This record gives sequence, structure tokens and C-alpha cells, in this order.
Amino acid sequence: MPIHEEHLIRPENLKTHENLVIDGVDVSGHWSTFIESRVVTDYNEAIEEEISSLPGGEFIHRCWQCGSCTNSCTVNAVNPEFNPRYWIYLIRMGMESELLRDRDIIWQCVSCNKCTYACPRDVMPEGVMKATAHWLELKGHTPKSPSTVFDEVFAGQVIETGKIEEGRVLRHFLKRTGQPMIQPWLVEMVKRMVFGLPLKMLIHLGLANIFRPRTSQWARARSAINEYVAEKEDEHQTALGLDDLVELAKQEVTSKSTPAGE
Amino acid sequence: MTKPVLIVGGGPAGLAAAHSLASIGQKCILVEKEDRLGGAPILSGYAKLVPSGEWAKDAIGGMVSRVENNKLVEIKTGTIVNEFSGNPGSFSAKLSDGKTIKASSAILSTGFTHFDSVNKPEWGFGTFENVVTTTQVEQMISSGQGVRCPSDGRKPKRVAILLCVGSRDRQIGREWCSKICCTVSANLAMEIREELEDCHVYIYYMDIRTFGLYETSYYWRSQEEFKVKYIKARIAEVTQKDDKLIVKGEDTLVKRPITIPFDMVVHAIGMDPNVDNMLISTIFGIDLEPHGFIGKQNSYGDIGATSRPGVFIAGAATGPESIDDSIAQGHAAAMSAYAVAQGAGKVAAE
Ligand SMILES: Cc1cc2nc3c(=O)[nH]c(=O)nc-3n(C[C@H](O)[C@H](O)[C@H](O)COP(=O)(O)OP(=O)(O)OC[C@H]3O[C@@H](n4cnc5c(N)ncnc54)[C@H](O)[C@@H]3O)c2cc1C
Ligand code: SF4
Ligand code: SF4
Ligand code: SF4
Repeated sequence: MPIHEEHLIRPENLKTHENLVIDGVDVSGHWSTFIESRVVTDYNEAIEEEISSLPGGEFIHRCWQCGSCTNSCTVNAVNPEFNPRYWIYLIRMGMESELLRDRDIIWQCVSCNKCTYACPRDVMPEGVMKATAHWLELKGHTPKSPSTVFDEVFAGQVIETGKIEEGRVLRHFLKRTGQPMIQPWLVEMVKRMVFGLPLKMLIHLGLANIFRPRTSQWARARSAINEYVAEKEDEHQTALGLDDLVELAKQEVTSKSTPAGE
Repeated sequence: MTKPVLIVGGGPAGLAAAHSLASIGQKCILVEKEDRLGGAPILSGYAKLVPSGEWAKDAIGGMVSRVENNKLVEIKTGTIVNEFSGNPGSFSAKLSDGKTIKASSAILSTGFTHFDSVNKPEWGFGTFENVVTTTQVEQMISSGQGVRCPSDGRKPKRVAILLCVGSRDRQIGREWCSKICCTVSANLAMEIREELEDCHVYIYYMDIRTFGLYETSYYWRSQEEFKVKYIKARIAEVTQKDDKLIVKGEDTLVKRPITIPFDMVVHAIGMDPNVDNMLISTIFGIDLEPHGFIGKQNSYGDIGATSRPGVFIAGAATGPESIDDSIAQGHAAAMSAYAVAQGAGKVAAE
């Protein structure tokens, strides 16, 4: 029997045997291709705890799988594979391998919060999506998403100077995400700004770009913020069981830097 | 002096009826098959009750002593009714102790029988030591022993509670929902999580029926405060490998077969009709309803009426009921029985 809709089946689950006889029946070859079902053989209880320890994931355990979030979801309307309800379930039950299959879709949430308003149990699915994307990054399953990079560049500048300078944020963002500096939309925007904005403002913008003004007496605020950020990052590392990994990495670095033979 | 009211069965419903009648000066005789009063919560050693959270031995124990200390209630434990005859206002009952008593009316509060899980062999009860029932877990908690695997006394790290065991199942001729087991299971799951912090509890369900206000305090609370997990699956079979029980089924929300290891599997057993019901039906000359519980006349006329005038019914004898409802029905049936005892029932009926 040929398999209809074969593309729906994950290739590793299609099994064709060169020579296989079961109870005297020859089931070799293409015409006897088997579809293996994927059996869930264990729950990994740590995942729910890890994701719920990240900001946004706190209320994941409330979900009763009604599907309102998926039904109301902006992204789901264009990509049916984007299914917050399903991922929340996989996380709650600890079906890690299933979750990881969708690692390249999960981060696509546009934070419209439609799901937040639809959810009858106050799970805050938008937050869960954020926490899950964060979890995937921290665990090294996905590279940093463009929006994470943007957040880092933006926050980094605020923390450093107490001010925000859009041109600089944009330049650094494009650079760190490997995008060319000359973007057609950017060129158009700058053109219009040059024609549209009053001269005084343009000069101001230019100077700010060169001299990088800072909020006065920012240093104390900066160190307080940095301390807080470090504390939170440590918390997340510990919650995700990454402390050991960090320690290991450090040890590896030191052992490599000691000359061999010592 | 009117003849006493005969009450058969000393569980929550019978105790409520006896208390009601005595408190308005009506004599009654309480006949109980077992050697002590209290019904299922006492005889089966339940732990904390839904929804009060009180220990069964305190809550129901209080109802027992209230009745035992009342002179208007004559208690006959270890006794059953063998013969019953007569008409409203003048019944006569022959008891198993050889005595014959006169009664003006009767209330049957003979309750239910726990489903025997051996009748679902695919779920491993009676075959594997660590497959237990909700009543056994109630006893583990109420005895102070704590929740432990019977095989070796270890603390379970992962517990599965299977709902609807002996309910909602045509294969074994039981179509009814036992009504209270979802809530009782959520309650037990929270008690397990409270005692054993690092033990994860999974509830396998077809529907969750924590009806009415129990939704917040059991279904929602068990998830929000105690992180109990609910999985929509009817389990196919329970087997054993080394010291783990293997639970097989289909997780219907992800369309995936599951074979998950557990330390302990708990059957949320349902409420069967009292095994004595055929006998009770013959002795008292009353009809059973199609499932085998005692038939109730419509609820809009005489409260608690059976097919025989002057014989009333209350509690889980009529079908699965909670303790609170059984108690309310006991009080209500007392009202009907009292009316007959006072000769008013006849007047009202005319
Ligand atoms: C595991 C489990 C946990 C539960 N926990 C709760 C809970 O937390 N909260 C809640 O509201 N409900 C709970 N229930 C339901 C509760 O057990 C019933 O609602 C309650 O017991 C019904 O009371 P009853 O008096 O009608 O019947 P029963 O409690 O069954 O009492 C009937 C009495 O009649 C006696 N009897 C039977 N046949 C005869 C006879 N032929 N002659 C003389 N005497 C007889 C019996 O020995 C018994 O004492 C639970 C049920 C189960 C299975
Ligand atoms: S916030 Fe994300 S998950 Fe929620 S509806 Fe919008 S896109 Fe969908
Ligand atoms: S709307 Fe809320 S409760 Fe419903 S599936 Fe989504 S997260 Fe769960
Ligand atoms: S109360 Fe719940 S567990 Fe009990 S029979 Fe009904 S649905 Fe099943």
C-alpha cells in the first residue's frame, strides 16, 4: 500500500525492511513500509518547573487545555503549526523531545496578547511563549532571536548611559544580527527625516550621535541595575540547572590554559 | 404515643434522619448491619472529607455520638431486618436478633457498596501490590501511616490516579457517574502533594466532574496551588517492570501512545448499588431503579418516597451521592416519615 499524505509523517518513522518475515508473511520492500508510532515513555518533570521559574512562565500550571489561546492567536491564523496550547501541554507533561521539534516556530509569537485576554484561567500564554523562547535560548537549543538581540542592545545602552540614542541602537542591532547597514527602508527614512525635520533638531541628533550624552550622576543607578540584572540571571541559571554547566565550562577553560604535562 | 420510625442503615443519611426525628421528639429505632455506626466514611476509614476538610472520624464521629447519646433513638448494631409487613402507621419488622418491632414508617438509608477493582483486571489491582484504591489511600492518610508503596513501604515519587474505575463503563455494566470520585481524587492528590513534596501526581481522566463550587476548591486549586497534572486518557493497561508500574494508554491531546513508569497507581473507585439491594427490595417490597439502586418516586411529591407508601429512602441508597446531600436527604426523609408517624401522611395523601 502506498502511503497517502506521506509528507505528514516524520521521515525517521517510516520503516522499510529489506528482508523481514513476520509469522511467515513476507513484509519486505517498499510496498510494506511501516509507520512507527512515537511512544511517550517518560515525563521530564523538570521542564515545567524550569519554564515557570522564568519571567512570564509563572502560571503555566493552571492551563486546562481549552484551546482559547490558540483560537485567538494572531500567528496561528497564518501558521497552523504555531499552537501555544499544544506547547503548554508538552511543557506541563514534560514531553521535551516533542517540544524541541518546534523550536524554530515558538519564538515567532508577536506578543499581541490576544491569548492573554482570551485565557479563562489567567495562564498568560504570551508570557509562557516568552519564557519558553527564553528557555530554548538559555539551554542552547536556539540561537538568540533577533528580538532578544534588540532587547540586549537597547537595554545595554540605557544601562550604560541612562539615555537612548536610536541611531546607535539600530546600528548595533544590524551589526550584531549580521544585517547590512544600508537597508532600503532605512535610507528612505533618513531621506525623509532630512527633508522633514527642522534644522535645529537635525543638528541636535547629529551631535548626540558624536558626543553620546549621558544622564548626569548615572553611575550609581547603573551599578544598581547591573547588580539586579546579575542577580536575576543567576537565579535563572540556577533554576534551569545550568550552574553546573557554567562551573564545568570554567574548569575546562582553566585546565586548557594550564600547560600540558604539569 | 405513636409507634417509632424504623431507620435501616447507620451512615450519614441514617444518622441525620435519626437526629432529626429525635430532635422533634419522635422515637426511632436505628438498625445497622455492621457492629458500629457511621457508614462508609467510618467503616472504610476516610481521611479528610470533601468539602469541609474535617477528618471523617471527627465529623461523622460527632454525628454518631449525638445519636448514641439520645434516649429517643434505640440502636441495634449487628442487626438486619428479615421480614417487613403492614401498612403506613402500623408496620411490623422481624429482626435478625429474633425480635419483632412495630413501626409507623420506615427510612431506608442502606447506602452503597464500593466497586471491587478486581473486576477491571487490566488495571492491575489484586495482581500488583502497588496498585491501590482511593479507599486504601484514604486509610493510609487517616491512620497516620502516610502514603507509601505497599510493596516495600517506600515513598512514591510518582503517583497516577485513574478516574472512573467502576463507573461510566458499559463493559462492566456500570453506566453511571459516581459523582464524588473526581473531587475525592483531586482532594487526595492535594493531600499526597502536601505530605510528599517531591512526589508528582498525575490524574488520568475522561471528563472532570468536580461539580458546582468544588470546581474552585478542588479542580482549580489542585492545579494552581498543588501543581497536580491532569491528562486526558483512558488507561489501557497497567503492568509491572522491576519496581515500577507501567501505565499504558493514549494521551488523547497529543494523539500519542504513552507508556509511563509510576511508583503507585490509585483506582478512583466508584459507588455500586448496595450488594444487599435485591434482598432489601424483596423484604421491603420496593422497586429498584434500572441500575440497581433503590427507586425513588418523583421528587416533587412526598420527599424520599419509594414505590411503597410509608417506606422512605435517603442517601447513596438512591444512587451516587455526596455526604452533604445524603445528610440533607436524611433530614428530608425524616420529615416525610414523621408526617406518617403522626397520622398526617394519610390526611395529606387524601
Ligand atoms: C473513596 C471515597 C471517598 C469519599 N469521600 C467523600 C467525601 O470526602 N465527601 C463526601 O461528601 N462524600 C464522599 N464519599 C461519598 C460518601 O461515602 C457517601 O456520600 C456517603 O457514605 C453516603 O452515606 P449513606 O448514609 O447514604 O450511605 P453509607 O455511608 O453507605 O451508609 C450505609 C449504612 O447502611 C448499612 N447497611 C447497608 N445495608 C444494610 C442492611 N441491609 N441492613 C442494615 N444496615 C445496612 C451500612 O453498613 C452502612 O453503615 C466518598 C466515597 C468514596 C467511595
Ligand atoms: S501573544 Fe503570541 S501566542 Fe498570544 S495570541 Fe499573540 S502571537 Fe499568539
Ligand atoms: S487559553 Fe489558557 S487555559 Fe486555555 S489552553 Fe490556552 S493557556 Fe490553557
Ligand atoms: S465523578 Fe469523575 S471519576 Fe467519578 S465517575 Fe464521575 S467522572 Fe468518573
